[in-house]
Order: sequence, then C-alpha cells, then structure tokens
Amino acid sequence: MIANDLLKGTLRTIVLKLLSDNGRMYGYEITRKVEGLSEGKIKLTFGALYPVLHKLEAEGHIKIDVEYIGKRVRKYYSLTEVGRSWSQQKVDEFFDFVNTMSYVLKPTPA
Amino acid sequence: MIAAIIDNNMDRIKADLVNRGLTFDRLLDDILDHVCCMVEEQMVAGENFELSYKHVLGTIGDKRLPEIQHQTLLLLNKNFQLMKNFTYLFGLTAALIAILGAFFKRMHWPGAGILITAGIVLVIFVFLPLYFVINYREQAEKKNPLYAIVGFLTLAFLLAGAIFKIQHWPGAGHIIEASLVILIIGFIPLYVVNAFQRAGKSKLRLPYIVMLLIGIAIVSLLYNVNMSKNQLNIYRDEAIKNEFRVDNVQERTAQFMSYINDTTYVDKKEAVTEINIQAASLQIMLDEMKDGMLSYIKQAGARVEDIRKIDNRNAGRNAIYNSGKGREFTTVATEYKEMLEGLVEDPVTMSQIEDHLDFINKIWSLEFGSGDFRNDPLIKSYYKLTYASRGIALSEYVAISTLIHNQK
Repeated sequence: MIANDLLKGTLRTIVLKLLSDNGRMYGYEITRKVEGLSEGKIKLTFGALYPVLHKLEAEGHIKIDVEYIGKRVRKYYSLTEVGRSWSQQKVDEFFDFVNTMSYVLKPTPA
Repeated sequence: MIAAIIDNNMDRIKADLVNRGLTFDRLLDDILDHVCCMVEEQMVAGENFELSYKHVLGTIGDKRLPEIQHQTLLLLNKNFQLMKNFTYLFGLTAALIAILGAFFKRMHWPGAGILITAGIVLVIFVFLPLYFVINYREQAEKKNPLYAIVGFLTLAFLLAGAIFKIQHWPGAGHIIEASLVILIIGFIPLYVVNAFQRAGKSKLRLPYIVMLLIGIAIVSLLYNVNMSKNQLNIYRDEAIKNEFRVDNVQERTAQFMSYINDTTYVDKKEAVTEINIQAASLQIMLDEMKDGMLSYIKQAGARVEDIRKIDNRNAGRNAIYNSGKGREFTTVATEYKEMLEGLVEDPVTMSQIEDHLDFINKIWSLEFGSGDFRNDPLIKSYYKLTYASRGIALSEYVAISTLIHNQK
C-alpha cells in the first residue's frame, strides 16, 4: 500500500492521465483501473476521488456525459481541450519530480 | 438479473445515502452509481444482494458521506477559497503591523501606539472572526458553534487585555481577568470534553492549543511585568503615612510660628518666616502636581485609597514631567536647601536636614534625567510627591525649632 500523504498531491495527475489514455471513464471504473495498474498498491477510495473530479470539472479541465444504467445515472468523465494539454503538463511535471527525488534520495556511496 | 435486483432496490439505496447526509445531488449521482457498482461486483462473485449491500454500507461507515460532501463543496466554493486566502493574508498583515509597532515602540519612534493598536484591532475584529468562521465551516461534522465562539472570545479578550496593558489604558487588569475567567470556565472545559469525544478518532488539535498557551504565557507575563497589587498597596500605604506625618509636623511648626512674634525671638523672626514661606510655597507646588495628576484621571479631590486602583502612567508624566512643574520644584527645593545651609550653623542639625531633603538628589533629579516619572504607575508618582512633601515639612520643622531653641 502506498501512503495516503504521498498520494495526496498526485491524485489529480493520476485522474488526468487515466482520462487522457482511456477517453471517458466513470468514477468506479477509475478506482478499479488505478487499483489494477498499481497491482493493488493504490486503493483509491471514492472519498478521495469524487471531490477531485468535481473540482476538475468546476475548473473546466474535464466534462461530463450522462448515461442511464437502469434507474440510475452514470456520469462519464472525459478531458476537455484545456484539460488535455494540462494533463500532459502535469504528467511531465510529475516525472520531473520523480527524477529529482531519485537523485535526492539516492543512497550516497560510503 | 443482478442489474434488475439492484434496480429494484434503487430507491432504498438512494434513501439510505440521503439519510446518511448525502444531499448534494451531483455527488449523490456519483456515489449512488459507485455503490451500485460495488454491490454488483460482490453479487457477481456469488453473494446475495442483502449481504453485499450490508457489506458495502459497512465499508462506507456512518460519517464519511457528509465528510466527502463537505470536502467537495469546499473545493467547489471559490468564494470560500478566496475568503480563506484573504483571511490568512490579512492575519499575516495585521501581525506584521503589530510587530512593526512593537519595534517602533522599542526604538521610541512616533506612531508605535497607533501601529500596535491597529494591528491588534484588525486581528481581533477581522482576522479572528474570519478564522473561526472558516475553521467552523471546514469541519466535516458540524459541531457545536459554541466551541468556536468561546475560542474567539478567549483570544479576543487576551489580546485586548494585552493592548490595553501596553497602551496603559485603564481597565487592562479587568479585561485580562475576564479573559482568564472565560478561558478557565469556558474554553478549557469545552476543549477537554471535545478531546474526549474525539479520542481515538483523530489527532487532537495540538497546534491550536499550543498557540493558545503561548498567548496566555505572553499575556500573563505582561500582567506580571507591571507592578503587582502588593507593590501598589505598599506605595499607597506609604503615601498615606507620609501625608499623616506631614500633617503632624506642620501642626508642630505652626505652634512655633504662633509665638514667633514674641520679642524673645525678634532677631530670628526674619529667618524663620522666610523658611516658613519657602516651605509653604514648595508644599503648594507639590499639591498642584498631585491635583494635576488627579484631574488628569478625572478624579480631582479623590483620596489616595481610591486612586490605587487606577493605573495610569500618563498622569504622573503629564502633571510632573510634561507640565515642567517637577523641574521647577527641583530648582526651588535646591534653593531652599541652600538657604537652610546659610541659616543653620550646627553641622549635626544640617546633616539631619540634608537627610530630610535627600529626595532632591536621590529621587528627583536622577529620575527626571532618566525619565522614570514618565513610566511610573500613578500611585508611585503620588507616593514620590508625598515623600518630598514629608521631607520639606520635616526639614522646615528641624530648621525652625533649632533656630528658636538656640535663641534660648
């Protein structure tokens, strides 16, 4: 399991990247996908996911399509044009961060 | 098949979610779908609906839904974010203004009082209310607003007490006492109850309580740096004693004066009368300074017992220092002492007189130079005036009685 405080800042990036790779996805699908990709190491709870999705939508980075599954509504989220370029930027930023961290945290030879 | 069972129970699931506090429609749609997916997954694995649903509800818990909704709404509410940023920026500015004021005060630059007051007033009336409102709104489980209100009152009173104390405004003591009362009977019990309720649930709000304790420490320090009540009482008692002695001694002097016209003392009459007149004019100057202090605090004619309670450092500064009367008094008192030196021949008597007039060198001239009068509490300044008055009266008595007795 990866600690929550490490995940906190990267949640948006994860969501944006998933949407950019998979087109449109609904909430539950995102949590399952993350769990699958991380081989169970990242358990994305809906408590963490939905506030972020709503925030991204309010900012105009993602948009919603609604479909009816039986009696209930399913909301599919997908990237807007703005969100697409932003998503790439966020992912680049993150790799940059990981690279930097790998230098910083690299064990120093004795 | 599975989808149909879930659909049949849809109203029930929705009602359950709403009952658990999920009222924001847009989020409700998301969570409803999410929960259905979770149930569906378990049913696909072979569980029946009831068990699956129960299990899913168990993982959600009772309090998470309102919390999630709260977080979502907060993230969405831009005004709230703006307000939050504004509040912290504002608190920072106000604190910087107050610190700058403290620095000005240290350097004795003008405007220190205004800066400190402005900083603290902004903190009390703008930053703290906003801070507590935000804090309250950010809490997922709505708690009793009493906690925020009492916290605000405690801090507001502590800060107000501090500013009153620094600015030497009357009533500082009462405000600090009030804040300590609120703290002890309000904030601390509430905090303890709250801590017990939260025990095991989440970490206590340690930074908050630490901040508060630091605040209390600073204010109590301010409170104690100022003169304690005991000390003020000592000054008051000494002032009363001095005034009593002055009355007694002057009565005795008046007896001498009543038979100065007797022919026996004819060649001493001029010297004795001069001493008497000089001493009287010095006493008048002291009385004027006392009256000046009392009228400054709008208590003209008050008794010493009553003015102890009023700690106003500006009174002494105004009536003794700024008015120039203190300096004038020192000059005239020095002349008086020189006059006595010329009239009294006996060195033992003269050293006695010098003892009585030691205030001219010890208390007055020294402390006018270093500006001590400018910072004394009212009762201490008053005490100094009675001390001088006693010295004048005693030296007058000793000088006159010596002159008269030597005649015999």
